[in-house]
Amino acid sequence: MTQSTSNHGLLENLRLELRRGSLVLAVLAALRKEQYGYTLRKTLEEQGMTIDEGTLYPLLRRLESQGLLLSEWREEEKRNKRFYRLSADGKLILKQLLAEWQSISSSLNGML
Amino acid sequence: MNLVDRYLKAVAKALPEAQREDIVRELSEDIRSEMEDKAGELGRPLTESEQQALLKQRGNPLVLAGRYRQDHRTLAFGRQLIGPVLFPFYVRVLSFNLGLTFAVIAGIFIALGASGQKVGFNDVLSSCLLQLFIQLSAVTLIFSLIERHLTKNPDRWDLSGTCGGLRLDLKIGKNISLPIDRGQWISRFESVSIIIASTVALIWVTGVQRYPFLILGPAARFLKLAPIWYQVYFPILLLTVAEIVRATINLVRPDWTRFRAAYNIILHTGGLVVVYYLLRAGSWVAAAGSTTGITEQYAHSLAIVNQWIYFALLAAAALSVAMLVAKVTRLVRSLRRPAESPSLTAPAKEGN
Repeated sequence: MTQSTSNHGLLENLRLELRRGSLVLAVLAALRKEQYGYTLRKTLEEQGMTIDEGTLYPLLRRLESQGLLLSEWREEEKRNKRFYRLSADGKLILKQLLAEWQSISSSLNGML
Repeated sequence: MNLVDRYLKAVAKALPEAQREDIVRELSEDIRSEMEDKAGELGRPLTESEQQALLKQRGNPLVLAGRYRQDHRTLAFGRQLIGPVLFPFYVRVLSFNLGLTFAVIAGIFIALGASGQKVGFNDVLSSCLLQLFIQLSAVTLIFSLIERHLTKNPDRWDLSGTCGGLRLDLKIGKNISLPIDRGQWISRFESVSIIIASTVALIWVTGVQRYPFLILGPAARFLKLAPIWYQVYFPILLLTVAEIVRATINLVRPDWTRFRAAYNIILHTGGLVVVYYLLRAGSWVAAAGSTTGITEQYAHSLAIVNQWIYFALLAAAALSVAMLVAKVTRLVRSLRRPAESPSLTAPAKEGN
């Protein structure tokens, strides 16, 4: 029972670690099209990449401060929303990350 | 939407000040969008318990705010003692306590040096290290206990402000607004910091009374505290305890801003009375041991140290008077101000 609980905890940690690494890629990919926070969260969720807002918004801020994203406050449906989109640097980094991702994926596929 | 405002207010209090407004605006938009979505799915407005459930999913406001901090430093010895959420406050309290203590030590050694007493580097170093050890141990112990409490009870918080059984958050009455304007409510971190700092001060003051070397350092070999310090010991203790009581009350009722203002005026007046009695004493350190063998140079040293303490007390008195005037002015202005103030959604009503 204890062993099983411990394995479950370990699996959960490893799973989270694996997902955390791919979240940046998912967010950058989703922001090829301009979106605001909530729709971005929904888009990711629909694609099976559920992310809570406590992780998403700090991540968006970090990516913006790194120059990979651009954001602006704009009114939509009578409400002010902050829209995010990829910057030129973001597009370049995304391209490189996608190539890296595909390389890792094909290596893993070869091993599995 | 009162619940949303409460939640946002609780998050805002723990956010980095420079980004506070921006983050709250964005979070507010996200929460409202989600609630509208849910209401659309149900075809009716959300009930208060449904709103509460959605906010619960977002997690403890303290932890959520912590994720926005750039500073993710922690304190760990084998296992984590203080996590990234509390670490900035730990550093703030520790810096304040150490800064104050080192300033006192520096004052004593400078006065001794100026009076011609031989002050060795080892004496200064041992005094500083002793104080560092005491402060570090006390503050770390208190913060690690809070951290342990929070870690053990991550989900035990509610919008009335209970966090892991410990009131670290805001309790907000239904009739009280949630203005985002800074400075209207008393930050729970301010209250927690004051409780911790005052507790450490209480332990230190108690220790100094019994072991004067805690403040005099190696100078305790030939100096002792004058009787006046023992006379004002209980009033100082009482004022410190009163400050802890005040901060604890404001931890539970951060909206009691006028209570704090009035209470602080009483405490400051009490502090001024203590400073007045201290100033009247005329002598604050005396020669340790027998006075028969006191050399002229020794007496001169004592006079200089006492002179320095006199100036320090005068400065403290002037500062206290200025702060008291400012606090009285602020309280009078707040009493004259209309009860209404801007809020996110609800009309404002000042606490107590």
